[in-house]
Amino acid sequence: MTRRKLIVALAGAGSCCALARGVSAGALAARLDGDYLRITAPHLNFLSGRPLERLKDGQSVAFIGQLTIAPSLNSVVVQARSVARFAFSYDIWEERFSVTKMGERPEARHSASHLSAAQAENWCLDNLAIDRSAVPSDQPFYVQLDLRAEDPRDQIGIIGDPGINITRLIELFGRPARSAQPRWLLNSGPYRLADLKKSEVRSTRG
Amino acid sequence: MAFSRSRFRHALAVPILLSALVPRLPGGQSLQRAAAETNVNQQYVIESVSISGAQLDDSENANLPGALRERLNSLVGARCDMNVLNEVSDQLRRELHLRAVSQRLLRGSQPGRIRVNFEIERRPASFDIAVPKFLYHSEQKFSGEVDAIVRAAHNSLTLGVTSNGDDLTERFTGVAVRYENSRLGTDRVRFGIEFDDFHEQWRPSTVATAQEEGGVDLYHARRNFAPEFTFVLARPLTVSVGASFEQMESRIPGQPDESANAITAGLRYNREFEDAAFQQQFGASYSLRAGTRALGSDYPYSRHMFTVRYEFRSGKQLAREEFLGGMIAGYAPMFERFVLGSSETLRGWDRYVIDPLGGTRVVHNSIAYGYQIREGTAEVFYDAGSLWEPTRQAKLRHSVGIAYRQGIFVLTMAFPVVEGRIAPVFMAGMNY
Repeated sequence: MTRRKLIVALAGAGSCCALARGVSAGALAARLDGDYLRITAPHLNFLSGRPLERLKDGQSVAFIGQLTIAPSLNSVVVQARSVARFAFSYDIWEERFSVTKMGERPEARHSASHLSAAQAENWCLDNLAIDRSAVPSDQPFYVQLDLRAEDPRDQIGIIGDPGINITRLIELFGRPARSAQPRWLLNSGPYRLADLKKSEVRSTRG
Repeated sequence: MAFSRSRFRHALAVPILLSALVPRLPGGQSLQRAAAETNVNQQYVIESVSISGAQLDDSENANLPGALRERLNSLVGARCDMNVLNEVSDQLRRELHLRAVSQRLLRGSQPGRIRVNFEIERRPASFDIAVPKFLYHSEQKFSGEVDAIVRAAHNSLTLGVTSNGDDLTERFTGVAVRYENSRLGTDRVRFGIEFDDFHEQWRPSTVATAQEEGGVDLYHARRNFAPEFTFVLARPLTVSVGASFEQMESRIPGQPDESANAITAGLRYNREFEDAAFQQQFGASYSLRAGTRALGSDYPYSRHMFTVRYEFRSGKQLAREEFLGGMIAGYAPMFERFVLGSSETLRGWDRYVIDPLGGTRVVHNSIAYGYQIREGTAEVFYDAGSLWEPTRQAKLRHSVGIAYRQGIFVLTMAFPVVEGRIAPVFMAGMNY
């Protein structure tokens, strides 16, 4: 990595207003899988910390994920995007995870259950795919994953039986992004579609 | 360097754009609800419910409000509906004034059964500003109240600022200070004391009628000091006793202040019944205010009021019945007189057309049918009531209307049933 690129990357990470975790070389890899570009992130363990505690208490935890393709590492131009919302839960008797990709309508949801933490995380990433036709075929591109846990506390306490709680309202609008709200931001690239096709062929043959 | 600056700007812009974009994604509360619906633990049956490890019948939970206790009990034996548990957590937090409540699921005594423990986080002391009531009435204009509340342990101190043109014949504007102790030695005794200082505004029709009829004192300010003890006889039944020392300044300069000092008493019963198919709420109350010369009152009177409320919910439908009856014997001050034509009674009627001085006898009944539409409930209602004096003949009046309720917010269009004309009245606000 050149010095200039390093400064750019550090500036981008430093200006991130929420706490983004774990940006490390090789943490995110893109691959072609049939009609889709998918990602793998073997070192990403987002089922950890407070979200994992809540899951083990039997609660549901929602994550919002966004996968983008851009012409440069910190470009404001996004060439393709996939956004999805996932609801996780943990079976307290079987001690296995369940994950549902939320659709606009209940019938558009799909789920997987009886998963280990790693399997649930991978299922989530596999379902953040970008259509192959949207991937630029003639220029290099970068891939970025932005994943964050929803914070249910933002929706409570403002409106209740005693009326509108002005204090809660002021707290909500006056507060910066919650420092405890887990967020993961990972980048990788540059990739070329032709190179990904070669590796796809190799993996198919292998 | 130009290239570097451009890259640097991009480096700054991306996280900012991402931060701005992600919270705008559709979801919010509906996502939380949808996420709860997919929870894998919903297949299990709830075996028991506890609060911070203490069972509901334990002494630690002796002062739970009756309706809340009923709701917690109704969870036992039911499927583990995470949205219901979230609602109960929120109800616990609100009603017990807690900092936070979260539920924890634990394995039950056998496979397929779970225990639910609500973990609570108390506030050592808290400060809140709340708007408990706000109403816009197309005839009476605005009424509202803003409260600043300090709570510490079982004590709360409230400073409220109010302007209310809805509840009485007069519009009263001023401040109210309340101190409450919800546990006076025991969970079964509560103590409260209130001080009010209000300025009054009277409608010209009230002033004209008062002058015409004579014998009615319209004061321009009043102050009230009211201590009260409440005893929990059984969980849904409470009795309260207290006193009210009210002093009124006359509108006529030079006239001495008058006192309306009274003994107060009340009886309240509230119960909720819940089943898989329906929910019922029943509430009844009786209140007595007796002004007596023994307390130095210039007004010897007794005021009796009864209310009964019943609500039935099944699926998306609800039916509600509310009855109010009252009687004043003796010579009572204006603020004690009954009013119809408010945001809750004979909706749509102009109270000053019914009687600009209010009345000493009242009977009112309201029935409503509602159907849940999305997050709210659309209702149709029929109000009927009569306000009169013993020397006058009672006249029954009616009104009909439609309302849409969502949480504490209500929109109402009411039509008084008057021969020959339709004059709708519009109301919007919360908690009315």
